[in-house]
Amino acid sequence: MLFARWQQHGERAAREALVQRFMPLARSLARRYDRSSEPYEDLLQVAALGLLKAMDRFDTARGPSFASFAIPTILGEMRRYFRDSGWSLHVPRGDKERALKVRDAQEAFANEHGHAPTVSQLSQYLELEDEQVIDALLAIQAYESLSLDAPRPGAEDEALTYGDSVGEDDARYELIELDATVVAVLDQVPQRERQILRMRFVEGLTQTQIAGRVGISQMQVSRVLRRSLDQLRSLTQDTGEAQ
Amino acid sequence: MARQPNVRLNLSNRPENVLLVRETLTGVAEAIGLDGTDLNDVRTAVTEACNNVVLHAYEGREGSLEVEVHIAPRALEVTVRDRGVGIGHAATSEDAPGIGLPVIEALSHEVEFREPEEGGTEVRMEFATASAGGMESPAQNGLEVPVFAETGHATTATISIAPTLLARAVVPRMLCALAARAHFSTDRISDSQMVADALVAHAGDSFRGDYLSMAVSVEPRDLELRVGPLITGRAERLVDDSDVEGLGRVLEKLADSHDVTHMDSHDTLTLQLLDPR
Repeated sequence: MLFARWQQHGERAAREALVQRFMPLARSLARRYDRSSEPYEDLLQVAALGLLKAMDRFDTARGPSFASFAIPTILGEMRRYFRDSGWSLHVPRGDKERALKVRDAQEAFANEHGHAPTVSQLSQYLELEDEQVIDALLAIQAYESLSLDAPRPGAEDEALTYGDSVGEDDARYELIELDATVVAVLDQVPQRERQILRMRFVEGLTQTQIAGRVGISQMQVSRVLRRSLDQLRSLTQDTGEAQ
Repeated sequence: MARQPNVRLNLSNRPENVLLVRETLTGVAEAIGLDGTDLNDVRTAVTEACNNVVLHAYEGREGSLEVEVHIAPRALEVTVRDRGVGIGHAATSEDAPGIGLPVIEALSHEVEFREPEEGGTEVRMEFATASAGGMESPAQNGLEVPVFAETGHATTATISIAPTLLARAVVPRMLCALAARAHFSTDRISDSQMVADALVAHAGDSFRGDYLSMAVSVEPRDLELRVGPLITGRAERLVDDSDVEGLGRVLEKLADSHDVTHMDSHDTLTLQLLDPR
């Protein structure tokens, strides 16, 4: 009995045989978390540590099978690891870095091909799971560092935020501006947001085309559109109730 | 007290549908403020239960995968249901036989297996969620199985969700995942999210009952949403309500086409989004 040989006699060979036999279990548990922000190798190491602990503590006289004892022990070890590494904070750093990588890859693809990539194109290029790319697309809208006023990388020389770069298109919207009701509602969002809204909904440009014109990423365009529409809706709903 | 779920997903046992379940849970976590570690536990255990259905419940045939989420104060309850071969299958897993169940047991606060009279297996998992807030429970008149207009497209996923606060977090996320599966570009994925935003924002009193429901069909570069059951006459109004002065009817502009079907007791709004490139 391998457990007795290791636990009572400290036989290294018995321990190694046990590790060999149960490593697939540890590996399988580590894989269950490999969509998280931690590298798989680190997760595997933590799972292996949990396995060793379980091997030391397993009571052959009592337990049913070793696996049913080892699984909670290994998962417990992994959860402790996630807690200690600050994983439970609202925006883990690994996730944020990944979101920025996804944004950059998206931009590079759009520049090269003239249209936006699909999720599977991004996940293949970045060697990520589709789920990680989807989560990145959703998460990126929450990050403050993507603020509209932040200068674009490499654009510092021109000292332009994209608000400046859309200014020259103002003239073409003058006709629309004549409508007083438009001024009343749309004026509630800043000028550059308003212009992006119009490019999408009046001119019918795609988000990638808007991104190209304005000099921001498509994901920022997405964020501006969703947030501005949300603001406009809450405004019109408020006035609706007041009438 | 009969408890109504906050979310019900009707899917098939195809492996790619597990992602939809995971994204739904992530959206729920966002809405109730569940922390990352707890979310990870919930997702891992529920993934395990879903994978059991995918791999073993139907012995290679197509079958249903039904997931319900119930949000209680300090607890999250998730039920995974199939109509397959029964409880025996639950003890095995793809890569390491027999570890599916212990993983669910280790990660959930409480787990219960049932074989309903209609057949199949039901796994009910309860998670303690001290970190998270609760969510108002839908009223007792309950969740009818929504009936949508037929359009000839096979339904990939049906979602019913309440209250609106929860739908705000979950529906755009679901549509993002479904649009990704339809091979949409990130442009059109974002547009799909905006469609979800608009539907949720104007859902208000349009739906019959407490739930916002939709059936989604995914085909290559083609996403079709059938939204309902809407109170008779409200489908057109839902599109009209999306009007922003100076921009037009946002739903109409984002979708390639929309159509209203009047049925006996309710309406269905069908929206089609394409990404032809």
